[in-house]
Amino acid sequence: MAAADSPSAALRRRDLCSRGIRLAGKMRADVVDLLDAYVERQGLDASASVAAVEGVPLAAVERWDEQTGTQRLLENLAAYRAFRALLAQMLDEQREQLGEADAGLGRALAAVLLQVSAFAYHLEELLRLESRGIPGEEEDGPPPPPRLSIFEQKLRGLGVLRELAQWAVRSARDLRQLAKPSPATGAAPGLAESP
Amino acid sequence: MFSRWNWVACGFYLVLNICSPDASGGLVQSCGHIIPESPVLPLGSNFTALCILNESCLDFGNIYANQIIWKIKNRVVPKEQYREINRTVSSVTFNDTSSLDSPLTCNILADGQIEQNIYGITVTVGLAPEKPKNLSCIVHQVSKLTYHMTCTWDPGRHTFLDTKFRLRYSWPEDIFPDCIPKNVNNSCTIHDVHFFVNTEIWVEAANALGKAESDPLVLDPVDIVKPLSPQNVSVTPAILPTVLQLTWENWISHTVIRLKFNIRYRVVGDTHWIEVPSEDTASERTSFSVQGLRPYTEYAFSIRCMKEDGVGYWSDWSEERTGITTEDKPSKGPPIWRIIDASHSPACWTVHLLWKALKRFEANGVILQYEVTVRDKSSLSSPLKKYNVTSTNHTLQLPNGTYEVTVIARNSAGASPPSVLLIPASNSKAPVKNLSTLPKHDKLWVGWTAPNSYVLKYVIEWCLMSSSSDCFLEWQIAPGDAQGIDLKGIKPFKCYLITVYPLYADGQGSGQSVKAYLKQDRPSKGPIVQTKKVGKAEAVLTWNHLTVDEQNGFIRNYTIVYKTIDGNETVVTVDPSKTEYTLSPLTSDTLYTVRMMASTDNGSRSGPDFTFTTQKFGKGEIEAIVVPVCLAFLLIVLLGVLFCFNKRDLIKKHIWPIVPDPSKSNIAQWSPQVPAKHNFNSKDQMYPEGSFTDVSVVEIEADDKKSFSEQDLKPFDLLKKEKSTSEGHSSGIGGSSCMSSPRQSVSDSDEGETTQNTSSTVQYSTVVLNGYRDQTPVQVFSRSESTQPLLYSEERSEDHAGGADSIALRQQYFRQHGGQDETNTDRPCFERAKQITHADEGDLVGFVQLQFSGQSSQPLGLEVEKNTQEAALSNVLQTSIEGQTVRPEIVEENPLSIDEMPKSYLPQTVRQGGYMPQ
Repeated sequence: MAAADSPSAALRRRDLCSRGIRLAGKMRADVVDLLDAYVERQGLDASASVAAVEGVPLAAVERWDEQTGTQRLLENLAAYRAFRALLAQMLDEQREQLGEADAGLGRALAAVLLQVSAFAYHLEELLRLESRGIPGEEEDGPPPPPRLSIFEQKLRGLGVLRELAQWAVRSARDLRQLAKPSPATGAAPGLAESP
Repeated sequence: MFSRWNWVACGFYLVLNICSPDASGGLVQSCGHIIPESPVLPLGSNFTALCILNESCLDFGNIYANQIIWKIKNRVVPKEQYREINRTVSSVTFNDTSSLDSPLTCNILADGQIEQNIYGITVTVGLAPEKPKNLSCIVHQVSKLTYHMTCTWDPGRHTFLDTKFRLRYSWPEDIFPDCIPKNVNNSCTIHDVHFFVNTEIWVEAANALGKAESDPLVLDPVDIVKPLSPQNVSVTPAILPTVLQLTWENWISHTVIRLKFNIRYRVVGDTHWIEVPSEDTASERTSFSVQGLRPYTEYAFSIRCMKEDGVGYWSDWSEERTGITTEDKPSKGPPIWRIIDASHSPACWTVHLLWKALKRFEANGVILQYEVTVRDKSSLSSPLKKYNVTSTNHTLQLPNGTYEVTVIARNSAGASPPSVLLIPASNSKAPVKNLSTLPKHDKLWVGWTAPNSYVLKYVIEWCLMSSSSDCFLEWQIAPGDAQGIDLKGIKPFKCYLITVYPLYADGQGSGQSVKAYLKQDRPSKGPIVQTKKVGKAEAVLTWNHLTVDEQNGFIRNYTIVYKTIDGNETVVTVDPSKTEYTLSPLTSDTLYTVRMMASTDNGSRSGPDFTFTTQKFGKGEIEAIVVPVCLAFLLIVLLGVLFCFNKRDLIKKHIWPIVPDPSKSNIAQWSPQVPAKHNFNSKDQMYPEGSFTDVSVVEIEADDKKSFSEQDLKPFDLLKKEKSTSEGHSSGIGGSSCMSSPRQSVSDSDEGETTQNTSSTVQYSTVVLNGYRDQTPVQVFSRSESTQPLLYSEERSEDHAGGADSIALRQQYFRQHGGQDETNTDRPCFERAKQITHADEGDLVGFVQLQFSGQSSQPLGLEVEKNTQEAALSNVLQTSIEGQTVRPEIVEENPLSIDEMPKSYLPQTVRQGGYMPQ
C-alpha cells in the first residue's frame, strides 16, 4: 500500500477502479445478453442447472467483507484468468461446431473474452499500484479439460457464462470497496456508483 | 572499304545480340545493363547510374564505354554528367532527381553514328511519407451494443508514391488487427471497440522510401463516445397547465455509460429554443417534467445526451415531439375601446364597444364568451346591464352620460380579470403633448409627452388615409407609463392619421392627431398644371393637390419648371399648400412649356408638360391703340367736314360748278340755226339744268405727223380694245375721277361701232396725244365724270346720222391745250380742267370735241372759272362750228385722218381763260 500514498498513484488507482467497475458492469450486461443468445443458439434450457465449472473459482465467498483489497484483487485476477482461458476454449469450440454460420455469437463471445482480458489487465495494474507482485500464470496452464461431448461442452459454456456474470457483480463490488478511501490515506471517495 | 563493312557487321551483331535468346534462357540478350535497376529515388536527391557493357559485345562490336550515350526519354543527357569508369562501365550523375524522367536509357553510338539502345530503367521519384499528424478519434454509437470508432489524421504532404496508411491500436497486452483505410488516406473506422480499457492508437504510413508513425493516442474509447440520441420521446400534459412531462428511452444501458441530458423546447411556430438548465438534467434519467410553460400552448421538445461526466461528445438532438399544455383561465381582460356616434341625436349616443381578442398566451385557452357590463355612473339607481357576447364588439344605445363598461373573457378554465373603460360625458381632460412619430424598420413608433396628470393608459387610434376608401380605424392600448408605442402592420408609402387619447381615472383627455408615413417615396404621379389666365407678361398656373394615395409621402414643395422654346429654363419652388402660381415676367407672344413636380422627402415626380403662349398685347393695349386712332380718325373726319362746310362754296364750284344753261344763253337767243333745228325747250324739259354730266376731251397734237404714226396710235387701239373688253379700265379711268362712281363701259363687238359708240356713250374721254417736235406724244385719257345721259345724244345722232347737216348738229370747239404733260388721269377733274384752262397755246394744238347729247345745249368740260363770260364762250363755240370742225367720228374711227385735218392754231394772243375761234 505504499505506492498508494502518492497522489498520482491514488488518482490512478481511483481511475482504474472506476473504469474497472464500469467495465465489470458492461461485462455483466454483455454476458447476460450473451447468455440469452447462447441458450437460444445452443438449444439449451435457460433454467437448466449446471454443476460448478472446474477451474473457475466461485464468486460467492464467505466473509467477503473481511477480505483485504489485495486479497480481493488476487482472487479476481485468478478468476478472470481462468475465464479468459475458458472463453477462448469456448470460442474455439463454437467455431468448430458452427463455423462461420453463427458469426454473431462468435463475435459476442470474442467481445466478452476481450472484456475479461481487459478486466484482468485492470486487476494487474491495481496490483502493481499495491506494490504487489503479480502472480504469474501457470506456465503449463490449467490441466487440459477432459474430452467432452458437444452437449457437455455446451453445458460447460453455459456454466462459464453464468459464473462470469456472477463474478462481474462481485468484481464491481470488490473494486468499489477498493475505491473507498482508506483511513490511512484519507483519499476522496470513488466516483463510481453502483451499477 | 574495310571500315565500312566492319561497321555494318558490327551493327548486325548488335541486332543479333539484342534479339537473340541469351544463354540464361531469356529472349533478349543485352549488351549491357544499368545499375541500379528501376530505383525509387527521393525527390531532390542526387543519383548515379552505371551502364555496364558485356565483355562479349566488346569483342564483336568494338563497343566501349566511351561510346555510351545516356538519355532521359528521348533527351540526351549532357556529356558533362558522364564518367567513363573503365572501358565497359559508364556512369551518369544527376544532382537533382527532379530532373529525372523515365525511361533512363543507356545507348551506344556505334561507328557510323548509328545509335543503338543497350538498356533502360524506370526511375521513380517521390518522397518519403511524413509523420501523420492531428490524429483524433470518435466513437459513434451505431446501435444499442455496437460502437464504431472513426479516427482521422493529417496524412502530410503528397509523396508521389504509393503510400500505405494503417491505423493501429492495442491494449497493453493485446494488439488488434490494423485498420486499413479504403479509398482514403486520412481516416479509418474500427468496428470492434471495447470500453474501459486504455487503448493506444496510432497511424503508420509507409512507402518505398520509408515509413512514419504518428504520435500515439492513448484513450479509453468510452471517453470519446458520441451516443445515439434518446429515442421514443413523448410529451404528455401534466395536471398543472404550466407543466409538460417528457419521457424517453436511452440507447446505452446505464450500467455501461451513465448519461446526462439537454432538453430544449420552443413554442410551436416560434424558432427560438429554450433550454432546460443543464444542472437539472445532469444525471441519468428517462423522464423530465418541464415547468414554467404557458397554458394552452403547444410546445416542441428535443433531447440529446452525452456521457455523464461530460467527457465525450453530445449526441445529435432527437426528433422533435410536441405537446400542449392544459387550459388556464385568461390572464388578463381584453383591451377595450369605444367609438361614439352622436350624429343621430346629441342626447343619445350610439356606442360601439370594441375589444381585442386576447392573444393566445393571454387567453390561456379557447375564449367561450365575453361578458359585457355597463353601469351608468351618473345615476346610482340605474340597473347594471349585462350582455354575453361571443364577438369582439357590441353596440349600445345610451343616453348622453358617464358610463363604466366592463368586459370579462371566459374560457373553460375560468374568467379573466375585468377590463374597465370609463366613457365620460365629455373628453375635457388634458391631452398628450409633443405627439411625434418615427419610423423604425417595419414599425412606426409614436411618441408623446405625458400630461401632468396621472394617466391610467393611452389609447392610440390610427387609420390609413385613402381617397378611395373610408378610414378603417385601428387602435391599441398602451400603459400609462408609456411614452411611446410601436405600431405594427403599417404599410409603407401610406399616410396614417394617428390619434392619441390619454385615459384618466376620472375621464378621458382629448385626442391629439398627427399624420405619419412609415416610409416615403416619391409621388406616384405629378400634378397636372394648367393655365388659369395668360397675359402678355404673366400666366397664372393652377393645379390640384395630389390625392393622398398619389402622394406617397409628405409633399414638401412643388417645383415649376418653365421654359421657352429656345430652352431658357426657369425653376420656381412653390409652397405645397398653394394651388395657384403666377409666372412672371414672361415674354409676350412666346410659347412656354411648363412642367410641375411634386416633391417628397424621397424624390419628385413630374406631371405632364403643358404649353401655353403668352399674348401679344397686354390687357388694354389694343384699346389704347384703337381708341386714339378712332378718335383721331373721327377728328380728321370732323375737321374735314368742317373744312368742307366752310369751303362748301369753293367745293361746289369745283365739283358741282354752275353750268350755264345754253338754253338760257344769249347765243341760243341769237343763233338762228340752232333753234330751228333743235327744240331746246323740250330738251330743257328732259335735261334740266344740273343734269349736266360729262365732257370728254380728246387732244391730239397735230403739228407732227409722226406723232400720229401707227406706233403712236397703238394706245388708241389698245384703248379701243380695253374699252371693248375691259370693264376695269374704263371704269378705272372713270373711277379715278373725283366724286364719280365706276361705271361699266358700254362696248360693242364691232370696232367701228365702238368708235362711234365711244363718242356717243357716257364715257367721254379726253385722248391727248402730246407730242412736240421730237417728243413722243403722250396719251392722255381724260374721262368725264358726267352722269348726263348722253345716250340720248346717240339716239339723236342716229336720228340725224343721215342728215346732211349732221355736222351742224355737233358743235365743235377748238381750244388751246397747254398741258403737255397732262398724263395723269387720276388727277381730280377740277385740276384737269384747270390744266386744260392753262394750256400752252403756242405748244399745243388740240381740238376739243364737245359732244352734246342729242340736242343738248349744255356746255361741257369748260372750266367754270374761266367761263364766267358765257357770252364769250358762246362766241368761241360758234366760231368753231363755223370754222374747221373735226368730226369726232373721224378722229375715233381713223386717227390718221387727224393728219389730214387742218390744224387749228390758237392765236398767240389768246391766253388763259380765253377761247378764241380760228
